[in-house]
Amino acid sequence: MRKWEEMQERSFYESTARERAINLVDKGTFTELLAPIDKMTSPHLPILGEAVSFDDGVVTGVGKIGKRPVFVISQEGRFIGGAVGEVHGAKMVATFRLAQQSYEKIKEKYPNDYESRIPAVVISFETGGVRLHEANAGLLAHAEVMEQIQHCRGKIPVIGLVGSKVGCFGGMGFVVVATDMVIMSDRGRIGLTGPEVIEEAMGKKEFDASDKSLIYRITGGKHKYIMRDAAYLVKDTIGDFHKQVAEALKMSYDEVQSHRCIGSLKLVEEQLELVKIAAENNFKDATDVWAYFGNKKSDQIQDQFYDEFIREAKRRPRR
Amino acid sequence: MGMTMLGKGRKAISMILDEGSFVEGKIDEYTLPDIGPGAVIGTGSLKGRKIAVIANDAMVRNPRFPVVYSGVIGMEEAYKMATTVYKMIELDKDKPQGEKRPLVLIVDTPGNGPGKVEELFGMNKATGAYQLSLAEARQHGHPIVAMIIGRAISGAFLCHGLQADHILSLSEEFQTMIHVMPLAGIARITKRDIESLTELSKTNPVFASGAGFFYKLGGLEELVNSVDDMKDTIDRHITEIYKCNAEGNSEKCRPSPFPSPSVLKYTPLLPWQTHHTYDV
Repeated sequence: MRKWEEMQERSFYESTARERAINLVDKGTFTELLAPIDKMTSPHLPILGEAVSFDDGVVTGVGKIGKRPVFVISQEGRFIGGAVGEVHGAKMVATFRLAQQSYEKIKEKYPNDYESRIPAVVISFETGGVRLHEANAGLLAHAEVMEQIQHCRGKIPVIGLVGSKVGCFGGMGFVVVATDMVIMSDRGRIGLTGPEVIEEAMGKKEFDASDKSLIYRITGGKHKYIMRDAAYLVKDTIGDFHKQVAEALKMSYDEVQSHRCIGSLKLVEEQLELVKIAAENNFKDATDVWAYFGNKKSDQIQDQFYDEFIREAKRRPRR
Repeated sequence: MGMTMLGKGRKAISMILDEGSFVEGKIDEYTLPDIGPGAVIGTGSLKGRKIAVIANDAMVRNPRFPVVYSGVIGMEEAYKMATTVYKMIELDKDKPQGEKRPLVLIVDTPGNGPGKVEELFGMNKATGAYQLSLAEARQHGHPIVAMIIGRAISGAFLCHGLQADHILSLSEEFQTMIHVMPLAGIARITKRDIESLTELSKTNPVFASGAGFFYKLGGLEELVNSVDDMKDTIDRHITEIYKCNAEGNSEKCRPSPFPSPSVLKYTPLLPWQTHHTYDV
């Protein structure tokens, strides 16, 4: 395996779940929990004649960034598109629970100085949502993860990273926006409904599922950054994601929370104002929305390099 | 039987609530925004108990969002639902545990708004917001019961149903549908013929569709076999949830059945959790 220093330069988009997990935290600090050696595999896939993966498509573990324990959940798109089955979901939930236990322990051990040591949960999403081979269990797992995020509120920052090949779709599209802070790269994608389903509902004239460029504009990192669904947009290296997570962990809990897009009545009211804008304008493309928020050269945004985009992008104003 | 409640969210409200008690569009003095007509929301009483109810009306279209009809939960509907839940939490914040008003979700929805503008503005945020609000309401001690009267499908069920303490469903005779994808779709994705999948699903409810399988899996608390029983059954479950909240037995009131009997073999990461002590 390549050195941690080298891996910091590596494309996040190209990296496996395990490479991301190990190298998102400080050098040499990552311990994998329920690693492939434990062979906790899906009990349902063999019944359907499908191959299993010894980690069920998700790497879970704990490392450190500075003094703080960082609980990592990293999904592997190469295994059934990172889809969430029963074991995969249970590993996610258990990681959240472990983070909360760790929080209580740290509070007890350092009553006067715990704030600089509280754990965080970092999820590196790469998933299409529910794994259809075990659909019902996958669905229940999603509900559980959502509940865990709510349980972490007021205690543990939960940070979502999206920059991998599969993106973050389906039911995990709910989970990612429920985190305190979303960090994306330009190549990351977030959505809920698949393009084919939208085409079926709207007709090919309104939405062409084969228009990959359109889909990228709508689901991609730049759009989510302008909309503030993503708090930060970083370059496509593991190191850039690592640095941004480390920055977030230097923030106070309240400051991290200030990047939430949902999770309170105030935020719901803010989003409702956006829905009103959506209803009143006949937006045909992401570029129309970018122009609405003051981006004059909205047709060039998709081709802009990172630095130029970050310098010039006009984002949705906060309330 | 032939009887079905599909598309009859409003009728279900009148069957479940005490006669004439339903007040739509308001939570006490607070008037809900006049949007999302597919989300029927209000307060009323159920056997004398004050509750709030959130239901789908499959008979209306949202005039502003063309893909939102037939019980689809669109952005307006979802944020209206979330607003309701947060308002309930706020209005009941000084009430002691045991007096936080219950929320009854009447479920008949085929999905989230599948549109371009929905993706542009974040359909996932809207129903995600609703899920978080329900999870928060439960934390505060509001009992939540979901009653499936028709369709409880995939992402929409995740939002409107799966965050409840207890989930009840009319049995399959009423043409209720609970699934992520119908078996035919799963057959296509898994490249198996539908006959062998149907056979397999009898012993493994994990990918099957239907209320019976979901009950077997542990995802439903109870199947209701008569529409006339909905009211009493919901009332009984509210009482049960209050009771297990008072006993601090939150595990029993989880939104989903982890660890359910079928899951138990694979999910008890608990031994792993207790053995592992991270050096703080």
